[in-house]
Amino acid sequence: MVQNDPLLSSQVLLMGKSGSGKTSMRSIIFANYIARDTRRLGATIDVEHSHVRFLGNLVLNLWDCGGQDTFMENYFTSQRDNIFRNVEVLIYVFDVESRELEKDMHYYQSCLEAILQNSPDAKIFCLVHKMDLIFKEREDDLKRLSRPLACTCFRTSIWDETLYKAWSSIVYQLIPNVQQLECNLRNFAQIIEADEVLLFERATFLVISHYQCKEQRDAHRFEKISNIIKQFKLSCSKLAASFQSMEVRNSNFAAFIDVFTSNTYVMVIMSDPSIPSAATLINIRNARRHFEKLERVDGPKHSLHMRMR
Amino acid sequence: LSGDQSILVSFILTGQNYTFFFYFLFALSFRPFHVEPRNIVGDDAQEQVSSEAAALSSRVHYYGRLTASSDRLLVPPDHVIPSPEDIYVYSPLGTAFKVQGGDSTAKNPSIVTIFAIWNTMMGTSILSMPWGIKQAGFTLGIIIIVLMGLLTLYCCYRVLKSTKSIPHVDTSDWEFPDVCKYYFGGFGKWSSLVFSLVSLIGAMVVYWVLMSNFLFNTGKFIYNYVHNVSTSDAFGTNGTDRVICPYPNLDPDGDSSTLQYYVKENSTGQVFDLWWSKTNTIPFYLIVLLLPLLNFRSASFFARFTFLGTLSVVYLIFLVTYKAIRLGFHLDFHWFDSSTFFVPEFRSLFPQLSGVLTLAFFIHNCIITLMKNNKHQENNVRDLSLAYLLVGLTYLYVGVLIFAAFPSPPLSKECIEPNFLDNFPSSDVLVFVARACLLFQMTSVYPLLGYLVRVQLMGQLFGDHYPGFLHVFILNILVVGAGVLMARFYPNIGSIIRYSGALCGLALVFVLPSLIHLTSLNRRGELRWPSAVFHGFLVLLGVANLFGQFFM
Repeated sequence: MVQNDPLLSSQVLLMGKSGSGKTSMRSIIFANYIARDTRRLGATIDVEHSHVRFLGNLVLNLWDCGGQDTFMENYFTSQRDNIFRNVEVLIYVFDVESRELEKDMHYYQSCLEAILQNSPDAKIFCLVHKMDLIFKEREDDLKRLSRPLACTCFRTSIWDETLYKAWSSIVYQLIPNVQQLECNLRNFAQIIEADEVLLFERATFLVISHYQCKEQRDAHRFEKISNIIKQFKLSCSKLAASFQSMEVRNSNFAAFIDVFTSNTYVMVIMSDPSIPSAATLINIRNARRHFEKLERVDGPKHSLHMRMR
Repeated sequence: LSGDQSILVSFILTGQNYTFFFYFLFALSFRPFHVEPRNIVGDDAQEQVSSEAAALSSRVHYYGRLTASSDRLLVPPDHVIPSPEDIYVYSPLGTAFKVQGGDSTAKNPSIVTIFAIWNTMMGTSILSMPWGIKQAGFTLGIIIIVLMGLLTLYCCYRVLKSTKSIPHVDTSDWEFPDVCKYYFGGFGKWSSLVFSLVSLIGAMVVYWVLMSNFLFNTGKFIYNYVHNVSTSDAFGTNGTDRVICPYPNLDPDGDSSTLQYYVKENSTGQVFDLWWSKTNTIPFYLIVLLLPLLNFRSASFFARFTFLGTLSVVYLIFLVTYKAIRLGFHLDFHWFDSSTFFVPEFRSLFPQLSGVLTLAFFIHNCIITLMKNNKHQENNVRDLSLAYLLVGLTYLYVGVLIFAAFPSPPLSKECIEPNFLDNFPSSDVLVFVARACLLFQMTSVYPLLGYLVRVQLMGQLFGDHYPGFLHVFILNILVVGAGVLMARFYPNIGSIIRYSGALCGLALVFVLPSLIHLTSLNRRGELRWPSAVFHGFLVLLGVANLFGQFFM
């Protein structure tokens, strides 16, 4: 099937200089274990081994560019068309510690040229990473350099909430029909009398959308929940198990995390302990069908687009 | 199901997928992924863990699972770790305790700092104050105490300020030897070390002499009390408050320090006096007690007993007041000529007092550390001055009262001993208590001094505070040997104090602080003639102080 061919699936390209933090970022967002020997001596040659899929049909590929290694340079130049094919999203990571600003901008622009040639509809995001170290306003420069393509810039660091928020925004922009999804989510929450309902992306547990009926105290709760579940997924993976659903209950609340659509998980929080679990689970199951229909609206169009290439 | 704390795990296998129902049980083998504390046990009952701190904790927890524990890739760098005030310890029951950071407990109010300085400065030189005033003359003695206090206070202020004028370097944990090393390189480091050791070893020798003295007198008191022997052989006053003159001086022009050799050993022929002799046997008995204590690796046990020093000083003040009330004042002012019972008001032996006072007012090697923990740093100078004032007043009080109360008609003021407790017979109960207290206090402080010597010397020579048992043992043997020799052959604590005081004071009180101040002014280009002349004069004073010990 066309979808399974890695060279033809839509890809999310994560690019940047070697050492700019891409591997850490991928590991943190996708809960991949970083084994010691992948602290590699050379650059990442990742395109054949990519198996991180997210948003259902997107494949994440990491690429180093701008390295000193001439072998890498040549490979990069010769494989350019392959690399930049079917790019749905380009996420370019700038290391704020870098001393070679001119060179970084130069490589960024050559990537943009390749994108313009091969995947002109790609969405472009720039992350200025390791922002816990220095504060720099590069946004205007980057926007200017990216013309005619539009790019969105984020400041990120793995040590505060900016990384999670940046990737959440990226994923939010990639979900088709996201506003409709939000509206339906609100209705769903009000019908089942939930305190809060969250919609997570399946692979990364990034919060796509949420509804809350009253003010919550902790602004960082999305990231914390995401971290908890990803840790649990890591534990599960050690048993070669995959996470499907979870219920947490005590005298004050009940929380349900369950598979929702092909791309999402849902988390429902009920503060009325008298409502039995079975009732909420039935509600979630019924809602699932409705939301899947919403997603499938865009689905066939997408694979149609693939086949035509 | 009850509460946050009871959770159960059960696994249900359904086909190819595992569905987990989570009710976590708080067993030690299951680490809770996240527990939001409901309450903080700490100073402020209303406080909660800040949301940023909780988020960072969650992140660090998660990142720790992504790599091997030895991999440094996802270890939080220093600048993201919160300050000690924001660090909490989570207990398994969901409460969080705020850890009192080391810094917050080390800030003392002014009164505590002043007291600490007073406590540290009060040493055995308090026992030599009456003798020192006697050597200098009553009026001149008082003047010299005041002047030396002011002089050493100014030099101490210079030491305190020396770290502030160093640019571009973080001097927050520097002590005075580090400052010397910064300005004068290796020479500065070694000279400040050597002179600091002089003061410490001098103090240890004085301690040995005094401990032998007190042990002798305590033993003699107990023996006489048990065997009901009353000794009235020493020359002294009659009556209940007896004051004795151990070495009556038939030649009024010499100074009493040469009279050690006229010791008239009590020839009652008793075995006890043969085996219990102040200079012949007791110094050696002390070796058995103290040498093992010196070899301990850590002196923190002995640091608990520093309160005994305060108690001893307070008791001495009480004792002095009591004796003065009982004996009354005996003062007669002869300005420059001496009489049979009194000394002139101005004597040429005054450098001996200034030597003693240099050590009495010495705190320059640790004042920076003591002041570091002052809560209001802007009051440092004021607090230092107050501490010096208190110390000076204490010394003046003890010295003047004993000198004035010394019963001069039967006894000459020349009889005042370098250790004024020697002027009281061993049968005096109050003085016996003082001697016993001081003996106990010195036994507990002696290992502490030995530890300081070892740390400074071994640290500089070998880089390690305890390079090996043999090194430390040899050092202890040398130090103890010096003490024993002094106690055997020259147990005059007045001389030991003044020589070691003048010597170490030369470097650490007069020369180094002044030179450092002049050098830093010079480097900044702010050196002016009055300042240079004044500080040069201070250096000369230090040198004169040292020479005066030998020639006067």
